[in-house]
Amino acid sequence: MIDLTGVTRTYGDGPTAVHALKGVDLSVERGEFVVVLGPSGSGKTTMLNVIGGIEEVTSGRLVVDGVDITTMNEDERTEFRRSHVGFVFQFFNLIPTLTALENVQLMAELVGRNHDDSLTALDAVGLADRADHFPGMLSGGEQQRVAIARALVKQPPILLVDEPTGSLDLDTGRQVLTQLRAVSDRDDRTVLLVTHNAAIGGMGDRVIRLHSGEIASIEPNTRALRAEEVEW
Amino acid sequence: MSILHRKLRRDLRQRRSQFAAVIITIVLGIALFGATYDAYQNLTDSYHQLFVTLNTADMTIAGGQTDAIVQAAKGVSGVADVTTRTVADVPVQVNGDHKMLGRLVGIPSGSQPSIDKVDILSGVYPDASAPVLIEQHMAKHFDLKAGDTIQILGPSGWVTEKIAGVAASAEYLWPAQSRQQIIPSFDDFGIVFADESLLATIPSSAAHQEVLIAYKSDVGTAGLDRLLEDFATNNGASDATPLADLPSNAALSEDLSGFQEMSLMFPLLFLAAAGMATYVLLTRLVLSQRGQIGLLMASGFRKRTIFGHYLEFGLLAAIVGAVFGAPLGGLLGSVISKMYTGALSIPATVTTARLSTALIGVTFALVAGALSALAPAMRATRLIPAQAMRGLIPAGKGGATWIERFVPPLRRLPARWKAVLRGVGRNRNRTISTVVGVVLAVTLILTFWGMIDSIQVLLSRQFDLVNSQNAQVYLTGQATPEVVAQIAAESGVAHAEAVADLPASIQSATSQYHTELLGFQPDTKLHSFIVKGHDVPLPSSGVYLGTSLEKDLGVKVGDTVTIDVPDANIHTTQTVAGFVNEPLGTYAYISLPELTTLAGGTNVANTVYLTYAPGAQPETMRNELSALPVVGAFIDSNALQSMAEQFMGLFYAFVGVMLALGGLMAFALIYNTISANVAERASEVAMMRAGGISRHTISRLLTSENVLLTLIGVVPGLLFGYVFAYYGLSVYSSDLFKWDLYIRPTTYVFTVIAIVVAALLSQRPVLRAVQRLDVATVVRERSL
Repeated sequence: MIDLTGVTRTYGDGPTAVHALKGVDLSVERGEFVVVLGPSGSGKTTMLNVIGGIEEVTSGRLVVDGVDITTMNEDERTEFRRSHVGFVFQFFNLIPTLTALENVQLMAELVGRNHDDSLTALDAVGLADRADHFPGMLSGGEQQRVAIARALVKQPPILLVDEPTGSLDLDTGRQVLTQLRAVSDRDDRTVLLVTHNAAIGGMGDRVIRLHSGEIASIEPNTRALRAEEVEW
Repeated sequence: MSILHRKLRRDLRQRRSQFAAVIITIVLGIALFGATYDAYQNLTDSYHQLFVTLNTADMTIAGGQTDAIVQAAKGVSGVADVTTRTVADVPVQVNGDHKMLGRLVGIPSGSQPSIDKVDILSGVYPDASAPVLIEQHMAKHFDLKAGDTIQILGPSGWVTEKIAGVAASAEYLWPAQSRQQIIPSFDDFGIVFADESLLATIPSSAAHQEVLIAYKSDVGTAGLDRLLEDFATNNGASDATPLADLPSNAALSEDLSGFQEMSLMFPLLFLAAAGMATYVLLTRLVLSQRGQIGLLMASGFRKRTIFGHYLEFGLLAAIVGAVFGAPLGGLLGSVISKMYTGALSIPATVTTARLSTALIGVTFALVAGALSALAPAMRATRLIPAQAMRGLIPAGKGGATWIERFVPPLRRLPARWKAVLRGVGRNRNRTISTVVGVVLAVTLILTFWGMIDSIQVLLSRQFDLVNSQNAQVYLTGQATPEVVAQIAAESGVAHAEAVADLPASIQSATSQYHTELLGFQPDTKLHSFIVKGHDVPLPSSGVYLGTSLEKDLGVKVGDTVTIDVPDANIHTTQTVAGFVNEPLGTYAYISLPELTTLAGGTNVANTVYLTYAPGAQPETMRNELSALPVVGAFIDSNALQSMAEQFMGLFYAFVGVMLALGGLMAFALIYNTISANVAERASEVAMMRAGGISRHTISRLLTSENVLLTLIGVVPGLLFGYVFAYYGLSVYSSDLFKWDLYIRPTTYVFTVIAIVVAALLSQRPVLRAVQRLDVATVVRERSL
């Protein structure tokens, strides 16, 4: 589903160059829930961004959902993001003038999904009854769930999630993680979740540890924890 | 340098184009203030200096019992000096055969008059061998100099006189024939200062005596003016003119008051715009730096320090703007003063750049900078650190726009277009500041464009509609039917009419006004009388008056006024039949048969108006008609129109510069508000880009929202522009000029197009930034 072969990502050049990814090799299967752990600056967000086509790789080969995005230009990568991946960020970036449902519709319209699809996506994250609420009327956890619904409504095979609980307290964080896990288990979607929170690693089918732009370890979990079992 | 100052410097560098736009606006505001205010002061000082040097009369009384008026004036406390002189409007010929109307102004033999002296620019004071001085405008126009000759029409025909020199006069700084004919054609009218002995040969019917009165320097003029005007009226004078009302002085005073008004209006407009731009910029800055501010406050920075930090942005922009704007204003003030006095041939020119003006300008800038930064700075101090450092959307109700409620189909718009629609009302402060910015820009453009429109339209109305004649000829005798027939028979003349053009005073119960009474044939084809917007014929009885007399004389239609016409021995009471709307001058009109009756049956027509046949050449017509012995002077209406347009040339140039600056400011203002709008959306834009929405679609959405905001600002902008243009023109309106506001429909259209184009152009750099937006950076770090 996701294949990285010798992927590097370097910012700048010369003596001040920053090597965010240094020849990363990784393969992720369909329906897997993978948690990427690492301290700040380890390259985890960069890895997420190159997989999602937000950033270009400096070298190496990257095939996502059967598509080689290594050689794509910006417009092609935009098309790719539209149909292959959904993003969830730490900061939800909802549009405050649109209701929860309309925020989801914004993306739904992009790929020709209808009103019912948007409602279904909201229902999937447990917010059908908040569809007509504006972001300012929702809690942080609810806003993040709307952001998940917004990513899901396109029905992408891959969900890329960056620090989804970074702005949330424990309880709302668990609610969000529950939804993300359900996305993977129920819909057979690939979820790649990056976080610096080691406790969340217990939820993944596999845990990948990054350090200084390199994969330090890849460990399978024999039993993935449920969200309510996670403590931090 | 403290860390905060370093942050300030780097923030400024990061937003350099937006701050540059603010600074440019401040520079323009301060420079225009300095230029117009210094020009106003310089010109006032120039005039005053000339008036003192040449001891200009504080009061000029024409006609009446001269000796009695002199005696009465001498007895008035506060009067320093009283003299008399003779003045006559007579035909003159220059350069051989060019016939025109000359005003002979008497000066004593051998020595300067004690009042209304002349400044001899070349040649010498007149004597018996060379008894005339030519006023500088006339000398320049006809290239006359000492030793040349002119011919003056005397009782026994044309008399050749030698020119002693060229002179300037404070009384005729601008050689206006009268308050009604404030714009002379130099081809047709000129001033000649002549030895009194020469004026003694002019028939008394063409000449009149004037009493010149100078006041002591330490007395108030208003009381003296009233007292002497009463003396004048009681002694049968036809006119009493205080210094302020002298045609030349009144015309120049119009310009002065214009400079004075503009010296207030421009800084207000530009500094308001700069203040608005600063406010928008700093509000966005504070918003985008919420996290930083929260951090600073959480780390122990005092609110006072945060407040001072953001206030410094406004003050710094003001200081930089003032540093460049104040000297530029001083320089421009000197240049404008020199250009203005040079264009009008005013001899004395004060061109001081005043420190006081610069200091006022700097104060204006600092106040505007501080006021505009005040609200954002206070907003920064009111942030709650914990909230400011989180990325949550502040709690709020949200809601659909009112337009969606009134137009339900809009609710079915795609979400992206709903976002555009609701983006307009999303942030009240942002919407208000953008709309106010657009309003200011539209106001500036429409104000100046509207003023140009009005003047063009009104000059066209004056010369194409109100006055239909191509030329007017003054005669050596009366305009008898035979003379009119002779002129009408000339080749190239299509139509000719006898017209009476007589000095008159009009008295109501409360006021008196001196003007010219024009007598036309009832079915005249050469003059239109526009009453309440309709072209109406002359009344069979009663008079039409210029519209400004409704207020100046305090009369309305149906009231009666007393009219004195000394040259025709007429003293009559007439009913006001209507008020005619004419842009230039304020005249009284009566039918010629009625006027003849009032004069006891005497033919009082003294001039002939005429039109040319198609294809007739104005210069040929001038030459041929001037050659007729019955013709004493020739006035070419086309030349008069050209002169009027030339007179307005300075005004056009001034307003044109303002229009250009207004457009530049509109661009800067819209650029700042729009770029701030877009910068605030960086994280949303990044989210949309990450979600797969194309750059083209995002640009289209942002453009739609900005155009929508622009259009919302256009409507009140047009309204304010209309009001400002009306105010701007009213500054110049008086009995000399009546500038009714007329804005062409196309001007509204072009103004809207200009603003939308400015909005589209000014957002281009911003959209380019959107195109280049580094999605990865934004999604990592919210604070751009």
